[in-house]
Amino acid sequence: MRGLQLPLSQTQRIRLQRALEKLQSLSCKANSDASVTVADTIPVNYEAALLKGHGTTDLNGDLVATVCGVVERINKLVYVRALRARYKPEVGDIVVGRVVEVSQKRWRLEINFSLDAILMLSSMNMPDGIQRRRTALDELNMRGIFEENDVVCAEVRNFQHDGSLQLQARSQKYGKLEKGQLLIVDPYLVKKSKQHFHHLEQFGIDLVLGRNGFIWVGEHVEARDSMVVDQANSSEQSMVPEEKNKTHTPLEMRQNICRIANAVRVLSTLGFSIDADLILETVELSSTVKIDIHDMLGSEFHVLVAEREAERRSLVGKRKR
Amino acid sequence: MVGLSVGEKHFIQGGIAQDLRSDGRKRLTYRPIYVETGVIPQAHGSARVRLGATDVIASVKAELGKPSALQPDKGKIAIYVDCSPTAAPMFEGRGGEELSTELSVALQRCLLGGKSGAGAGIDPTSLVVVEGKVCWDLYIDGLVISSDGNLLDALAAAIKAALSNTGIPKVDVAVETRSDEQPEVNISDEEFLQFDTSGIPVIVTLTKVGRHYIVDATSEEESQMSSAVSISVNRKGHICGLTKRGGVGLDPSIILDMISVAKHVSEQLINKLDSEIAAAEASEEES
Repeated sequence: MRGLQLPLSQTQRIRLQRALEKLQSLSCKANSDASVTVADTIPVNYEAALLKGHGTTDLNGDLVATVCGVVERINKLVYVRALRARYKPEVGDIVVGRVVEVSQKRWRLEINFSLDAILMLSSMNMPDGIQRRRTALDELNMRGIFEENDVVCAEVRNFQHDGSLQLQARSQKYGKLEKGQLLIVDPYLVKKSKQHFHHLEQFGIDLVLGRNGFIWVGEHVEARDSMVVDQANSSEQSMVPEEKNKTHTPLEMRQNICRIANAVRVLSTLGFSIDADLILETVELSSTVKIDIHDMLGSEFHVLVAEREAERRSLVGKRKR
Repeated sequence: MVGLSVGEKHFIQGGIAQDLRSDGRKRLTYRPIYVETGVIPQAHGSARVRLGATDVIASVKAELGKPSALQPDKGKIAIYVDCSPTAAPMFEGRGGEELSTELSVALQRCLLGGKSGAGAGIDPTSLVVVEGKVCWDLYIDGLVISSDGNLLDALAAAIKAALSNTGIPKVDVAVETRSDEQPEVNISDEEFLQFDTSGIPVIVTLTKVGRHYIVDATSEEESQMSSAVSISVNRKGHICGLTKRGGVGLDPSIILDMISVAKHVSEQLINKLDSEIAAAEASEEES
């Protein structure tokens, strides 16, 4: 685990170590021989014909790991999945990306992958909602939909022949994300789940957990009604920039956004998987302990979260038995 | 530096206006400071300071040299900062040189005083061994490993910590020498003189975004700044140096207001930094 760069006092260090050891002992029940570090020998059945995958190499007849990670076996393929790697996309994943370039009929997004992802103009819903062929005028108005540096939420559609991704944003829930902040965590902390969009009603906040490690926390925006007429939209849009200057996010909502963002930061520093329930629990913990929003990033709260997580997992383990 | 969308910029500016920044800090709150001393064993003194994601190392090396003819009773101090290419993508190759020179000059101005050596935060008269002939030359090097805003404050804190960690070897001078000869010096390996760092100032950078100033800006907040004023204040509350960055003009009354805010913030910062340095030295002695 990465050395925590926190000013921990002696007692805090001991408490944290104890909680982490407890977590490690709870998780060790599952295949403990699966995690390897560089130059560890991978236990294999040599009689079977093997396919040596990524992260392995043949050294003196032994199969040896070249990265630190977890050994995965799929039929005859044995490979080591590195933990701190870049995002590994799968079709159907929801990702959050930042527009890097507006080119002909497409936007290029940066999503913490080795290549930039492409969002075609045809994979995007038109503002007026009508399904029609994209004209040259639409192409010229691309900047009206997404500009450079905009944060966009989309879904992985397929892989292109050169290995880059193609995205789509056809549903109402995808699109530009405004009025909030973007957090960047390690991609392996966001596991695939049924729901990646969370509307936290009690706070009025949208939480989007992108599988590429980009997490968006922001004000709740109603899914845009596709039947709104274009003209009404355009007159609204011309007024909006000036209105924005006067109306900032209300203070209470901003406090909730900051609390949730700090909860995500704490979980990512401690290396725990990030999902909506855990984030909500962490936020509740912070309000029960009556800790200041900024102090959530301090050492005491980190230790509390680690201890609470160790307790929770031991309870879950006991219930299973 | 990654760009920010219009919505995000608006969110940051709104946060600063409402006194609740993106990570929950108030406008005048620093990020948690983490100090480690003695990170470079070959140097006479070194320290590493982490301020959020900003990570800097300062090292102090002392060599015997000859004092300049104009100031025979003072040692020489040189401060130089290097921005490592790993700190940020824009530092790749020679991209970080401009920022390095800017930081070096700002630190020299704040800590070393004027050309005549008057008014230095670090007292150079304590560095002289034999007046006019032998003195210590201090080379203070700063290295930026990771940049997330507020480099100047972090570097000044690192230099302060490194100097408090510095041990200058004791020198025995041979007594019988004629006045025009170089005296023989014997550098002791065992005994060290600790530097007195109570007079060294810290630097407080106030970044103006909209109509408000914030302390300790992250690189996202710095991208929104109109101007920034870095003020170096010492323990007595005296101003030791002032640097303004950013092209937007400031009304003189705003600058005076910023100075008083910086003095107020510096008291807490100096206390916090001293306690962190003491804790770091204590844990270094244990290990």
